[in-house]
Amino acid sequence: MADLRNVIVFALGGARWAAEIRHVREVASLGFVTAVPTAPPGIAGVFNLRGTIVPVLDVLALVGRAPHLPPRQGDGALIVEVDGAIAAIRVDNVDEVASLAVAPADGEPVTISDSRGRPVTLIDPATLLRRALAAAQAVRATDAADLADATLSDWPRPIDALTGAIEPPEFDGDTTIG
Amino acid sequence: MAERDDDEPDDRGGDFDADELAMLRQLFRDEAHEALEAVTARALATGAGPPAPDAVGEMMRVTHTLKGSAGTVGMDAMVDLAHRLESALALLRGGGWTAAVADQIIEIADGMRLHVDALDRPDDAAAQATRVRGLVASLASALGGRVESSPRGPRLAVPPRPRPPTDSDGVVATPIELGDTTRTIRTGADLSAAVPDGRAMLRVEPERVDALMSAAGELLFDRTRIERRVHLLRSLARDLTRSRHLLRDEIGPLRVATGDADRARIEGRLVTIERDLAAQATQLTQTTAALFDETEALRRTIGELQKGLLRMRMQTARSLFARLARSLRAFSRTAGARIELRTHGDDTEFDKALAEQLADPLVQIVRNAIVHGIEPAVERVARGKSPVGTLTIAARQEGGLVIFELTDDGRGIDPHALRERFVATGRWTPARAQLASDADVLHALFDAGVSSKDEADELAGRGIGLDLVRETVARLGGEIQLQSTPGRGTTFTLRLPVTTAVAQAMLFKVGGQVYALPQVHVVETTQIDGAAQTVPLRHEQLPVVRLEQLLATGGAAIDSGPVAESTGRRTAIVVAYAGKGVVCTVDKIVGPREIVVRPLGPLLAPLPLYAGATISGSGKVQLILDPAALVRIAHPGAVAIAPSAGGATTSSAGRALVVDDSRAIREALTAMLARDGWIVDVAEDGAGAWHMVQQLRYDLLITDLEMPRMNGFELIARLRRDKTLADLPVVVITSRASSENRRRARELGARAMVGKPITRRKLQDAIAGT
Repeated sequence: MADLRNVIVFALGGARWAAEIRHVREVASLGFVTAVPTAPPGIAGVFNLRGTIVPVLDVLALVGRAPHLPPRQGDGALIVEVDGAIAAIRVDNVDEVASLAVAPADGEPVTISDSRGRPVTLIDPATLLRRALAAAQAVRATDAADLADATLSDWPRPIDALTGAIEPPEFDGDTTIG
Repeated sequence: MAERDDDEPDDRGGDFDADELAMLRQLFRDEAHEALEAVTARALATGAGPPAPDAVGEMMRVTHTLKGSAGTVGMDAMVDLAHRLESALALLRGGGWTAAVADQIIEIADGMRLHVDALDRPDDAAAQATRVRGLVASLASALGGRVESSPRGPRLAVPPRPRPPTDSDGVVATPIELGDTTRTIRTGADLSAAVPDGRAMLRVEPERVDALMSAAGELLFDRTRIERRVHLLRSLARDLTRSRHLLRDEIGPLRVATGDADRARIEGRLVTIERDLAAQATQLTQTTAALFDETEALRRTIGELQKGLLRMRMQTARSLFARLARSLRAFSRTAGARIELRTHGDDTEFDKALAEQLADPLVQIVRNAIVHGIEPAVERVARGKSPVGTLTIAARQEGGLVIFELTDDGRGIDPHALRERFVATGRWTPARAQLASDADVLHALFDAGVSSKDEADELAGRGIGLDLVRETVARLGGEIQLQSTPGRGTTFTLRLPVTTAVAQAMLFKVGGQVYALPQVHVVETTQIDGAAQTVPLRHEQLPVVRLEQLLATGGAAIDSGPVAESTGRRTAIVVAYAGKGVVCTVDKIVGPREIVVRPLGPLLAPLPLYAGATISGSGKVQLILDPAALVRIAHPGAVAIAPSAGGATTSSAGRALVVDDSRAIREALTAMLARDGWIVDVAEDGAGAWHMVQQLRYDLLITDLEMPRMNGFELIARLRRDKTLADLPVVVITSRASSENRRRARELGARAMVGKPITRRKLQDAIAGT
């Protein structure tokens, strides 16, 4: 059954979107946006929100569409906070705050009707943040060196301590083992 | 102690050696500045008067102490000046304070400060002293009195101690307490008593503390790196557990089909593997959890270390307040306003660096309060307020934060008017204005575009430079808040960490953005041939990482192909990490800076290229590159294929079995072999190895000799007896001491030996020998 929820309706990339207001901490203007090379397309940059470094999310990229133009200083944004993680969702414009009928959708984008019966796409900020995090972690996973280095330099000592292995290996300069 | 007749300032050799004297004079300079600032602050606070009951007494006390200190370190001219000022102040005890008197006192204090600063230039110092003497004389005559030069006394009033440390003087050595010592230096009025006794304090040059601070800041990066890996290990442990569950689920149906001998054998083997996997996954999870706890402990320890170091640099709010008082006075004169300053929490301590950085923002707020906040006297009276405005500055510590509150009792800010203005100027849409709370509206004053607009400024009653104030505060890791009651006044609240994690960094530009590298890993900056793949540097060929490619943004992405178009000379930074060097090309060097390291937050922390971020003076986020990541990119040879990560080597050298009961050695050998392209399996003893060689064909076996269950000799003997395994090359790991073992192993058919400690090169040689 559909519930009535308070949502913020916003415009982005020629379409209209909505997000439940309970996830939105504030509406802000973006400061200077620093691009983050190697970040996944869903993370369009970072900016400084009163001393906190906040990533700017590209909703279009995160729902599998063509990424939006890079965000710029002065663009509007919804600051969302989920489980202590803060992010900015770049918007073209904030249209209204309304109570709309929302059907349960498991976090996937779902089309609902606004107060005048026009379609808007409801997104779930929590799901978007999880996707962005998963994408960032995927970048990490391709860095196989992390794994190998961890195996090399981090393991021997604790293991020795645990198993009491005799004569821990010494290594000289031609390997990375320290 | 005998009286001293000489009055040559430099003839203090009997008390102090040259170094000590220089040191004492430096300390005296700091002390004199504080004392004179205290006098200035009192004079400023009193303004047109009448002075608070203790004000004149306080100024006299400070001046008197200064006189004593100057005498101790042999600065006779200063003794004289302090004496004269003290005498002039004494004339004020009976009254007679005016704004002009306050001005004269401030000018005298300023002159004495200049005198102290000019001590290295005797002519300038003497000129200042003469000027100050004139000023004091005119002050005294204005007060109907006169002052005389100091008698020979003050120096003797504070007898210098004999040269420390000697065993004979019987002074009990005091334990060194850094925090308390710092207090003593900074706030201890009785310099003469505190300083010459060398054993009660540890004298450290500020540069040394800064160097330690920088190293401690570097620990932050190291911690970030370790934490990233711990998280990686955690997710690996989870993956391993998941894989084990999948395997178990696959084995289940196999068990149903019975009777088939082959299947039973496969099933039995799979069950064993699954059980091993389960045990390993559990151990990995436990180890990772322990490692996680240990990183937490490390985090706490690093925090303690930094806190301790910062306490060494603590100072009180007093001098900062004095500076604000001076600014207030200057501004209110210009504006023709009458404003009283009240300060609270003068003894609040915080990092000296914080005080330096905060001075300008606080001055800006004071200025705003005078220009925009506090109404003209006529208007104030009409509103039923005192004609004299009040500005209160309070400092206090709360937990790890130092909190400044600057409150004026002026006209305040009307959020409704401000809201209308934002909409009228097109800055905000009506919807946005409607959504914004009053607090949000007030805080929008800190936004760059708003506060620089003159019309908004007039209407809001606040403005210029507030964006910069907020950025500075943010850069220091703090926040600023604004509260206002229209008609009643405005309060700015600044919350800042008492301890600021500062690190030295090299800043540079690539693709129009500024990035940072931790300075300790920067070897030098240089010019290189733009097309070079490697650069010779101190007998080494260092690989080149083209940051303009690595840090390409937008559509360009990361171009992995070799690009030859970047010819000519290019600026580059030589980075060293963990004994490896790499040359990074950049567009432009910005230069070394002190930065405050800030975390990237959970979403960006997984990106391996960054160690954190910092916020520039203009409020832009600047990314800090991780030298470890750059070195890894430049030295792909150092990248081993993880043994359990699928074994997808590009060119396999073959399959090797490592047999050793030490897990550490198994892991190390696995890593070395994997780097040379071997697919590696491991066994804990001869029995395990024997079991495995019967199931899979191996190209190489590396075994220890002393192991439980089945030792190395027995394993080799068995292999040689087996027709299909007789040709398997065997490398034996031996200790240097056991030549008997070597002989025996060779007799049994081991092809090569590798002695402990094992190195990659030794191992390669041994394998080549098979």
